[in-house]
Amino acid sequence: MAKTIDRRRFLQASAAAVGFAQINPDFLISSAFAQSGKPLVFLSAENITGNWDPTAHTTLSQKNIEGFVMGFLTRTPMTLDDPGKVVYELATDIKLLDPHRLQIKLRKGVHFHDGKPFGPEDVKATFEYGAGKDRPAQWYPGPTETLTITTPDDETVIVDTAKGGYPAHLFIFLASFLPMMSAKDIAEGPGGALTRRLNGTGPFRFVEQRGNDTVLAAYDGYFRGKPGIPGINFTFTGDSTTRMLSLMNGQASIVERLEPEQVETVKGNPKIAINEVVSVENKYLWFRCSKPPFNDVRVRMAACHSIDRAMLLEILGAAGHASANFISPVKFGYIDLKNYPAYDPAKAQALLAEAGFPKGKGLPPLEYITSVGFYPKTKEYGEVITAMLNEQGFPVSLTVLEPAAWNERLYHRPGGGPGHMVDCGWSTGSPEPDLVLRTHFHSSSHRITGIEDAEIDASLDKERAAPTLEERKAVLQNETMPLLAAKMPALSLFTSVMIHAMQRELKGLYIYPDGSIDASKTA
Amino acid sequence: MFVLSFLARRLAQGAVIIFLVSLLIFTLLRVMSGNPVRQMVGGMAPDSLVEQIATQMGLRDPIIVQFGRYAAGVVQGDLGRSFVRPANGAATGGANFDDLTRGARAGVGDLILDALPMTLQLAGLALAIALVFSALLGIAAGLRPGGVFDRLAFAVSSVFISIPNFWLGIVLALLLSVKLGWLPAIGYGGFSYTVLPALVLAVELSPVLIRTLSSAVAAQMSEAYVAVGHVRGLSRPRIVAAHALRNASVPLLNLLGVQFSSLLGGVIIVEYIFDYPGLGLLTINAVLQRDFPLIQGIAIVTSAIFVLINILVDLAATTIDPRLEY
Repeated sequence: MAKTIDRRRFLQASAAAVGFAQINPDFLISSAFAQSGKPLVFLSAENITGNWDPTAHTTLSQKNIEGFVMGFLTRTPMTLDDPGKVVYELATDIKLLDPHRLQIKLRKGVHFHDGKPFGPEDVKATFEYGAGKDRPAQWYPGPTETLTITTPDDETVIVDTAKGGYPAHLFIFLASFLPMMSAKDIAEGPGGALTRRLNGTGPFRFVEQRGNDTVLAAYDGYFRGKPGIPGINFTFTGDSTTRMLSLMNGQASIVERLEPEQVETVKGNPKIAINEVVSVENKYLWFRCSKPPFNDVRVRMAACHSIDRAMLLEILGAAGHASANFISPVKFGYIDLKNYPAYDPAKAQALLAEAGFPKGKGLPPLEYITSVGFYPKTKEYGEVITAMLNEQGFPVSLTVLEPAAWNERLYHRPGGGPGHMVDCGWSTGSPEPDLVLRTHFHSSSHRITGIEDAEIDASLDKERAAPTLEERKAVLQNETMPLLAAKMPALSLFTSVMIHAMQRELKGLYIYPDGSIDASKTA
Repeated sequence: MFVLSFLARRLAQGAVIIFLVSLLIFTLLRVMSGNPVRQMVGGMAPDSLVEQIATQMGLRDPIIVQFGRYAAGVVQGDLGRSFVRPANGAATGGANFDDLTRGARAGVGDLILDALPMTLQLAGLALAIALVFSALLGIAAGLRPGGVFDRLAFAVSSVFISIPNFWLGIVLALLLSVKLGWLPAIGYGGFSYTVLPALVLAVELSPVLIRTLSSAVAAQMSEAYVAVGHVRGLSRPRIVAAHALRNASVPLLNLLGVQFSSLLGGVIIVEYIFDYPGLGLLTINAVLQRDFPLIQGIAIVTSAIFVLINILVDLAATTIDPRLEY
């Protein structure tokens, strides 16, 4: 499915040839909207944390705000055609000096919104602070003490991972995901400037938080020129009907997370354009692997063979995209796995019998927990999954909860956590596959499943330690992912399609697969 | 003198009511499902950390002890701090509790004071629209029982009371905002943003007001003093305006007090649909986030408003009709 990743050649090539317009000029916001002089009003389906420190949260809506305000070393459009494509932003070149040393060359003449010039000390401070063990986001491959970061001159940063024993190339993917913070802000320490406001190098600067509205204004000193849009109002609006009404009456410029029915409704509206993008998010049926009966791989496999994923996609309509792996097709290393369990009731029955539960007899009552109100159609396809499992003899009952209550019950805890299966998506704005695989299936993390499996650990360690990206891809595709498909700690049901609706004059706005937006129209 | 003793007596009764409501809400919040500490620390935190923080916050003390501590703060004007919302006012999804960079939490009193004027504006406008509409129809219906207006009033009331407010809100927004472009619908950017949600609330309020007015006016028009008024040579408009309506206004006034108070609860769905930043939207978010101090604060303020409005209504009713005793 994924085409050849030419990152190595790309990194070896001169950065000068890589321009912003290389992605696609269409992703610049259309001049028609910019000339109207109106601020862009974005209605978000998710609220923010209220703590502006980018390392303090994993909240998607806040990551979207950071996408407007903060600068990144690179950006990765993550398209189906070219998942590995990179556009340099604050970096002009990134290359591996050896397996444990990565050299980053920085763009000159860039300033933070508070006026401080951007330099190597900011990259060093960002990496060292963000990798701290106490930072809640935990995006880094190893803690601060495993990193040695040097700044030999005013445009170069060397990241050395030898102390941690993991390869430095892991930072290549992360470069598009980690917002660059000011060393001055970081020096203020916990509770300082980082918490109170965003300060970045991006096209829009943070003005204020006004109730549910985050107010951003075009940054005069943006290194690519001041954006044509004067500002952005980013507003949390919890109800999808309200968001849609606001778009239809012209109050909102762009809204996110449309239900499939809403797409059908607005498709005929000449004033509104729809943007559908295969996202970085897969939706999963997570098994609680540390307690019976799903501590038995045969029972997990039987459950997987009981579920007809094609039927789920019919329910989802435009909001779902077929995939057969644990990561999205827009992530590094994706392939359609040959041994990914397909719908096969006969095999499900054989596995159940082999596990000592013929036709499901002897299985305890099983609880399947899902949410309603955030992801599209969870209740609807949850009911279908429940019916399919019951058909094969799994005594499953579905518990549908509002997001806050569901979130309480989501994660693994000692003893297995609530319920036996949980529905949840996982979205990270980077091609890095370990943000899903290692996070969920390595014994050191296992956030939802609770799986502890030495074979999986060893394979995940092996792919991470591969000296080059090509070798890593080979290990991922030939060993790690097939191994996971043979053990199925979770069933990835499908890949989400991120659906945005916007005013027609905004058509062409580039929306990344994690939902963040490029609105940096130059003047 | 009567007014002072009336106020003293009713305020004392009101204080007892507010105390009981607070105790009830406080107790219910602590026995219902949903753990606020789990929301604060995040789903990944182990149960032991949840228990440790809950203990530190005093949430494992007996309910009566917790309530005593809370009530002592309330008496001094301190409604506490939100569990979830930061001082910058954002609607939050909850940051990690043990994160040292977590900003100061917002004061419950400040959050309520920001939202309350918006809701009072909405409720006030809704009541005004409902009153004007109901008065026109209800009085006309009451003056001719069984006539055209009476039948019309019955039909309108029946239709209005059957319309779910969430449906009407969406339809009105589609019609008046999306199709005709006459009014803004979502959020708040000035007084005009209050009109659509107020219309929805007015439709909800009107049936009871129409029926009360029409039956009260009809009852008054059948009283002996109306016939005597004719004999004394008073004109029908004079009898209606100066006598019948004045007497018919007492039951309406009592009803208005109850209706205005219930509006404070009724705005929840309407504010959510229109994303109107009042007390209703604040309440929904507080409930979804298990933000106990905020829910309690809203309950206390709402019950205090309820009590005060009823006292004022009773006071006004006794002024209109001194025979009434409360």
